[in-house]
Amino acid sequence: MAQEITGPGTAKGPFSALAQRIAGASPSHAGKGRRGPLEGIYLTQLIPTLLILILSVINMWSCSLAIDTVSFTNHLAGMALGIGAAIVVWRYDCRNLSNLTTALFVFACVLMVLPLVPGLGVEGGLGGLGWVRIGPLRFQPSEPGKLVVIALMATAGAQYNGKIETFRDYARLCGTLLVPLILIMVTDLGTGLMIFFTGATIIICSGAPRGWILATIALIVGAAALVVITSQIDGIPHILQDYQLSRLTVFLDPDGTASEDGYNLQQAMIAIGSGGFLGKGFGNASQALSGFLPEAETDFIFATFAEQFGFLGSIVLLALYAWMIIATIVLAMKVESPFSKLLLVGCAALWTFQVLESVGMCIGIMPITGIPLPFMTYGSSSMVTQLAAVGVVQSVWHHRQKVA
Amino acid sequence: MDLSLIIVIVCAVLAVALIVVFIVFGRSEAAFTMDIGGASPRASGGSDSSTEKTLSSRLVGFAVAVGGIFSVLVARLWTMQLVSTDEYSEQAESNRTSTVYTQAPRGRILDRHGNEIVTNRSSFVVTAISDVLDDEVEVTLLANLIGMPPQAVRRKLQDTTQGYQSLRTVSVDVSRRVVAYIGEHPEVFPGVSVETRAQRSYPHGSLAAHVVGYTGTVTQEQLEESENAEDGQIIYRSGDIVGQTGVEKRYESVLQGVRGEQVVYVDAHGNVTGRQSSGFEPQSGSDLVLTLDIDVQRAAEESLEKVIKQQRDIGKAAVGASVVALDCTNGEVIAMASYPTFTPSSFVGGISTADWDALQDEDAHYPMLNRAIAGQYPSGSIIKPLTTLAALDYGIINADSSWNCSGWWSWSGRSDDPDGMGCWSTHGGVDIVSGITFSCDVMFYEIGKGFYNQNSEGMQETFRRYGLGSATGIDLPGEEVGRVPDAAWKWEYFKNLGYSDEDATWQGGENCNLAIGQGDLLVTCIQMACAYCSLANEGPVYRPHVMRGVRSRVGDGFVTEYKTEQIRDVEEDQSFRDLVARGMWGVVYEEDPLQTVHWTNLDVTVRGKTGTGEQISVDRAIGWFGAYGPAGDGETPRYVVVANMDGVNAGGSSSLLVVRDVFGAIYGQPDTATGVATNID
Repeated sequence: MAQEITGPGTAKGPFSALAQRIAGASPSHAGKGRRGPLEGIYLTQLIPTLLILILSVINMWSCSLAIDTVSFTNHLAGMALGIGAAIVVWRYDCRNLSNLTTALFVFACVLMVLPLVPGLGVEGGLGGLGWVRIGPLRFQPSEPGKLVVIALMATAGAQYNGKIETFRDYARLCGTLLVPLILIMVTDLGTGLMIFFTGATIIICSGAPRGWILATIALIVGAAALVVITSQIDGIPHILQDYQLSRLTVFLDPDGTASEDGYNLQQAMIAIGSGGFLGKGFGNASQALSGFLPEAETDFIFATFAEQFGFLGSIVLLALYAWMIIATIVLAMKVESPFSKLLLVGCAALWTFQVLESVGMCIGIMPITGIPLPFMTYGSSSMVTQLAAVGVVQSVWHHRQKVA
Repeated sequence: MDLSLIIVIVCAVLAVALIVVFIVFGRSEAAFTMDIGGASPRASGGSDSSTEKTLSSRLVGFAVAVGGIFSVLVARLWTMQLVSTDEYSEQAESNRTSTVYTQAPRGRILDRHGNEIVTNRSSFVVTAISDVLDDEVEVTLLANLIGMPPQAVRRKLQDTTQGYQSLRTVSVDVSRRVVAYIGEHPEVFPGVSVETRAQRSYPHGSLAAHVVGYTGTVTQEQLEESENAEDGQIIYRSGDIVGQTGVEKRYESVLQGVRGEQVVYVDAHGNVTGRQSSGFEPQSGSDLVLTLDIDVQRAAEESLEKVIKQQRDIGKAAVGASVVALDCTNGEVIAMASYPTFTPSSFVGGISTADWDALQDEDAHYPMLNRAIAGQYPSGSIIKPLTTLAALDYGIINADSSWNCSGWWSWSGRSDDPDGMGCWSTHGGVDIVSGITFSCDVMFYEIGKGFYNQNSEGMQETFRRYGLGSATGIDLPGEEVGRVPDAAWKWEYFKNLGYSDEDATWQGGENCNLAIGQGDLLVTCIQMACAYCSLANEGPVYRPHVMRGVRSRVGDGFVTEYKTEQIRDVEEDQSFRDLVARGMWGVVYEEDPLQTVHWTNLDVTVRGKTGTGEQISVDRAIGWFGAYGPAGDGETPRYVVVANMDGVNAGGSSSLLVVRDVFGAIYGQPDTATGVATNID
């Protein structure tokens, strides 16, 4: 594989990669770079991430003052754990994963079905779905599962070196995504959709011909429409439960429904809208922090933030996300290895869709699903996963093939 | 908060440091390239020929998509947080605030001298949230404490008449012991609270019940009506106490105060977390002064009850009665009573179903009905002064007319005509004066016949000029208008019922019936009182009213006073008036010694007319008496009193006594005579 990704000016190829791997594990590496200790760090992406973490700390501190179930130290612990995970990932050369397609596939599937295993799955935990308890540890395996699927799709996609020639290859690629996707859809529709969009982005960037992609999209839209329509007709089996359907459609008409989701969405929009330009100030969220907005620290965390810090704060937060994501895409454009490219694309796509869904749901332009806002939402599973994804980006930078 | 400040400062410092780090070290990263595309020439022409080109164009597309997504988010935030922020802020404000209302006491209702007829007292009320229903133990404990059966407490808790969300009233007027116990043991009675409420109180019991009316919880219709009302009207809230009948309803806007409002901050669970400085105290309703005289009113009610009992003792049904005393110079109602009556206090705190059913029961003869304004009966002979004036006006008779009463009268004039009608007595030769005095039906049959032959509608027109068939406009709700029958009415009425043309045609005999106040004629007590006002005043009639004024909050003055309003002025030739007045003097002082004896012990001269109307459909006679005084020669009459009683032998032996008692109360000269003439009309 290494040969395939060599291009003009990168004659060192596998040797360089090997050297980097060794250097990465070696404490003496730090002194070798051009810019001293910061040589192995992609600051353009790391700085916005850290700034988001700072906003996250402030936001969660105000939540912890008002909401009993929020533990500020838990949040900080999750963050520390995540940073630890990120450092481990950063030191590890992710390219090692590039030929482990089968293992990743199996791992992804195992993670997805874990909540269904009797004795491991937790009924009705926080957020309701997809929780697993192993010893003292309680987590959502679908969170790390997202990263595993990204790695899986990147390895699968990179095999074609940016150009998928046969439909058979394309179908295999789609099938690779489909299996863990279906498994996760059973327990968690929202996470499933995130994985779907992320995986689809990777497939598109793997070089699949435009016509096939458009045909696939048409097929998916048709299938989705069929699922939604059949779920509304009595007498035939419903693929989506009524509550799932109502969550998906409530954002179209939040006033027109008396459902819990309709109420939540209204309260979220009131919270954000009443924040105004400068916001109500730290801790003054009369909506989010006085109990009117449910799930203020998880699903609707953006509303909590936007109410306190207003349009200005929201713009800063979104700008940081955009900066971080664009920096990742820019890096993807620059790195040579298709696997690394696709890995970065996957991370960027995951962040993009999570931000789109988590923020969009609060402002009434996306269906209501329990998707965490990266780095902001209370909960360690998501925090560790997202920071590990940052580690992936940093790892790609750290183990990049430099111009001689 | 100090810790918060530290955290925010630390975070800010960190953020600044990070930005500095990026500015110092980050810029050179942009220079990093991987020789994308390299310098080597590429094959041209093929669109998808280069893998590099495909990949980087898709990455650019992805970046553009990311930019698009963030643009959409920002645009939406822009509209929400900058454009529509006021709207959302309003909603957020209404979320976190709640208004606490304090009930304002209603205004008192006073008689013309300032005596309280209706006032307020404070009362302890036990209220509970409906969730208490789920706690069997608590319900039982509460029932034992108050001294109610648990089933009754449960029924009160289920009662949603004050709205589904509002507190349920468990018991009113609980003792201080109960209040103290609940206060000391809040843990035993979660959801139960004690309120102090101003309750309606009636120091004189049922006195003037039909005039003052009763209050009750606002009904659904009243709520909806008030929501659609114009500005300045009271907007009711569920659970408000509002006037339902009588003066309480008619002058609701005066009596109803302005409830106090206090805006408080609440959390999502409804707990009060603070209060706004703005808000206002409850303002009690204004005191209303009525025209009623409490002493005359009491005498009127006691007299009704007394005479009803007399009539029942001699085997008459005596199912209902009413009396109205007016000041004919301005229309003020000095007394207005209706029998049977009710106790307004039974409505305080909500009337029980059993009590309500009892008040609606036919066997109880509808105590809620104010017969003085809503009881419609044939007038009987007290219409005869009006009939006489009509006949004189239209030239049917003249001052010298005379008749011979043989006790039997027929249209054809033949004494053997089987289709004739009787007079209640045999009067022999009668002229106009004696015809009125002795209430000779024959004279009025002739008048009826004369009208039928010469001017079939003249009598009805005269009755209408005196206000029969139309509302007097008294300031009480529920007035009925009665009925003056004529050919057009009969046609329409009977044709609608499917009768033949012949049956629906006005007959001459009906004119004869109408002339003596029988047939299809219906009048109310207040209508006859107004008609007699015109006789007493020789023309003008003032709108009858029970409201004298609204008392000012300080002092004894009025902020508004009822403006006396003349509603009609009936013109009559003075000589005709004199004839009728002479006849009515005769009724009181000449018709029968047993009748006269009740009036000779009164210093004031009165003129009046007895009447007994047959109600064929229910087989009961309605006895009437109407009178005005002082009516000596040259005196200006001041008072008109009219009474009726349903189910008696004759007006002269029933209603006459009531009218006498009312005059007795007005002039402080009670009736001391006892005998009654039982066979006098």
